Amino acid sequence: MLESMAVQQRAAALPPRIPREAIVSLLVIAAVWEALSYLAPTIGVPQLAFPSFVRIAKSLTQITFADVAVTLLRVVAALVVSFILGTAFAVLCYLSKSADRYLTPVVRLLMAVPVISWILFAILWFRSVEFRILFVLVVTCGPIFFVDLLDSMHSTSKELRDMMKSFRPTLWQFFTKLMLPASMPSIITSWKINLSLAIRVVTIAELVGAVTGIGHQLAIAQELFSVADVFAWTLTLVVILFVLEALLSRFETRVLRWRQ
Amino acid sequence: MSNSTAVEVSHLTKTYRQTTTGRNVTAIERLDFEIAAGEIVAIVGQTGCGKSTFFDIMIGLDHPTEGRISIGGKTPYGDFGSFRGRIATVFQQDRLLPWRSCLENVKLPLELLGVPESEQRARALEWLQRLGLAKFIDAYPHELSGGMRQRAAIARAFILKPSILLADEAFGHLDEVTAAELRETFVKLARECGSTALLITHQLEEAITVGDRILVFARPARVLADIRVTDWPASEHGRLRESIQATLQGQPFPSRAGTA
Repeated sequence: MLESMAVQQRAAALPPRIPREAIVSLLVIAAVWEALSYLAPTIGVPQLAFPSFVRIAKSLTQITFADVAVTLLRVVAALVVSFILGTAFAVLCYLSKSADRYLTPVVRLLMAVPVISWILFAILWFRSVEFRILFVLVVTCGPIFFVDLLDSMHSTSKELRDMMKSFRPTLWQFFTKLMLPASMPSIITSWKINLSLAIRVVTIAELVGAVTGIGHQLAIAQELFSVADVFAWTLTLVVILFVLEALLSRFETRVLRWRQ
Repeated sequence: MSNSTAVEVSHLTKTYRQTTTGRNVTAIERLDFEIAAGEIVAIVGQTGCGKSTFFDIMIGLDHPTEGRISIGGKTPYGDFGSFRGRIATVFQQDRLLPWRSCLENVKLPLELLGVPESEQRARALEWLQRLGLAKFIDAYPHELSGGMRQRAAIARAFILKPSILLADEAFGHLDEVTAAELRETFVKLARECGSTALLITHQLEEAITVGDRILVFARPARVLADIRVTDWPASEHGRLRESIQATLQGQPFPSRAGTA
């Protein structure tokens, strides 16, 4: 049994294999795109709508690392802040029923507000561009961390809670030795959801209110009618998301190896 | 309370409001008994006689409506923290933390007490060795059989060398061979550690095998009979079992030996 577990762990440590079907689908889409880039004028579509891969590759070489780094930093920083705040409020609501009764409706309200409204509020309320972006991301991602963690703590079995309490842990020990490890699958799921959400939200926030970052570069590309640049920056965003998801998956494999 | 008295239960009453009917239900009614230091006492009673409620009050997870439990002059609920490291429990289900290995589960109580890591490991290894789990220190709970998991739970309780040891139907769900083996181990270790042990069971055979004394509970919980098992020679254990059975069905316990 232990041997089979070791084999599974080794398999999980290898880079994930891309299925053949996925490669075929991507190649078909690429071929259709490339064909459109040549055929566009003959079917009445402006050629700039479908730039060839050579043109896109040229745009990719012009990707500025500083903008990528700024966006990445904004996403990671906002997710860390969201996670800390979401965790703190979830623990507070777990410990205090009255805090739960006051806070949970507010969080539900925050979750019902569309992202674009938060961006407009941020522009109207705050001067600092960085704070605007941080605010929008935290107010969008924080509630997800909060709700998922609180639900997970409430669903931790009473048997395990009673067992732990019978040994008289401190409050800190109760949360660090029981509640957080028990909630780890849920925490990782929240990170996965928030990662893709944050990447999309930060782009919109940068698009309308920033002078740096991938979103801002997308806005410039749009002003210049450069589909190749839009494509290149979008591809960069997708790659960033995939890399972050892969890192998270490695972390998940390691932390949740007991479930294999 | 004499000097050798470890546990004193006096006029203990517990009523609670039933959530479904809204009525007040009495689970424990003026329960009185004492346990001497180092004694192993088995509690038997019919289903719903308040054994589990008594168990929760004894661990300090619930409080009595009236009366008190005194352990060395302190109450498990009111002086909750003062029993840190002195009270340990073996539950019906093993209640091992699924994300911790066997070794990590066993050393949990020492971690909570802040014992140095090297000592935690050494003591956990020693107890795992004693309970025949030396080859499974890195195994996760789901990789162990039911009997092995319960052994780990026993090791987790005994690692504290607790002055008070509680077991709630700890062997009831195991096959008879494993249960008998674990009962024997439990008694041997409790004697070695000098623990005062309270074992709640619905199996009369188990109560007779393990207990120095047997307390027969009525419904709601109060003592119907207080039997010193050593007053009954092994040849009369069959008759003792029948007498307890009859007492549980409402007949008085025969006055011959050790009755309350």
